[in-house]
Amino acid sequence: MIAASAATVLYVYGIVGADAADDVEREVASAALGQTPRLLRAGSLAALVSEVPLAEFGADVLPERLNDRDWLEERVQAHEDVLEAALARTTVIPFRFGAIYHGNGDVARMLGERRRELEEALERVRGRVELGVKAYVDRQLLEERLRSASREASSEGAGAGRAYLLGRQAERRVVAEADEACAAAIAEAHERLSAIAVDARVNRPQPRELSGRPEQMLLNGAYLVERGDSRIESEVESLRTAYRGLGIAFELTGPWPPYNFVDDEEAAA
Amino acid sequence: MSSGELGAGARLARSGGPAPAQLADVLERVLDKGIVVAGDIQINLLDIELLTVKLRLLIASADKAREMGIDWWQGDPFLSRSAQRDGDGRLEQRLRRLESAAGLPVDEKEER
Repeated sequence: MIAASAATVLYVYGIVGADAADDVEREVASAALGQTPRLLRAGSLAALVSEVPLAEFGADVLPERLNDRDWLEERVQAHEDVLEAALARTTVIPFRFGAIYHGNGDVARMLGERRRELEEALERVRGRVELGVKAYVDRQLLEERLRSASREASSEGAGAGRAYLLGRQAERRVVAEADEACAAAIAEAHERLSAIAVDARVNRPQPRELSGRPEQMLLNGAYLVERGDSRIESEVESLRTAYRGLGIAFELTGPWPPYNFVDDEEAAA
Repeated sequence: MSSGELGAGARLARSGGPAPAQLADVLERVLDKGIVVAGDIQINLLDIELLTVKLRLLIASADKAREMGIDWWQGDPFLSRSAQRDGDGRLEQRLRRLESAAGLPVDEKEER
């Protein structure tokens, strides 16, 4: 048996078309952390792979590694960096983290067995990238805006008890109106962005612990667009202008490899 | 949920340096999206318990978490606004009765 410290397995980042393979290989070489990624060609497809140590990715040690956040973050970021470097040159089918094979032969066999599915996915996203659009609400600001709007209409000269109850009623209305304003904002934003995009997905809004922002996330959308299409960017700018006064902010990220648009099951759902 | 678990989650979001939102987006995509490969893979990561419950909850969808039998966040006011509202429910009902008794104008939005 080979010493565990020297033994390696193959990590697959994703797939590109074999036609673009040479360009991609040059691009990813500079982006690599650790082992230089390379391309493993099989027919019309090429897998982006790296040798990784069995001591880190072996079945017996991996679960423990995955609970080491620093290790996981570094690996996940490397996965993304390699795919982004490839994306600069060609269409990319991103794999989820952790596709690990014994060796070249196993990767080639996987490419052969899944050829049709992967070629279809490649066609679906060819020349396209994913953009992320998120909306956040500063709930305090939104409610304050609605409150000051309703204060002007509030009654004067009522008794103290009655004024308190009217105040409570107005406050409840502000909360309900804020909910409605948020729902309307994300519905309009997603509709406008989807109308421009080739395809669209809505993901669960990230909780604050993950987003790292104090505001509540309202929308976590992914939009598939032709590479270089700047219409989503313009639309986000227009949404920013329209909703700034209500404390609703929009954030654009990407271009990403089309993570949200390559999974067959998800596309069918 | 213990505050220790929350702290670990917050660290996850922050430790990327100047762009925490970007790291969160990377984690969400790379761990939860993309093509899932099974078959002759030596290690199928998705079949093993790969992340802590907290990390999975942050990244997986609510439905997925529920399938795993995790539902405590529904009662966690920090993670669920609806849980917050339920806590106020009784007070709201009492106010409604008082308003009605005092003959205050009906709140159309809420009566609809």
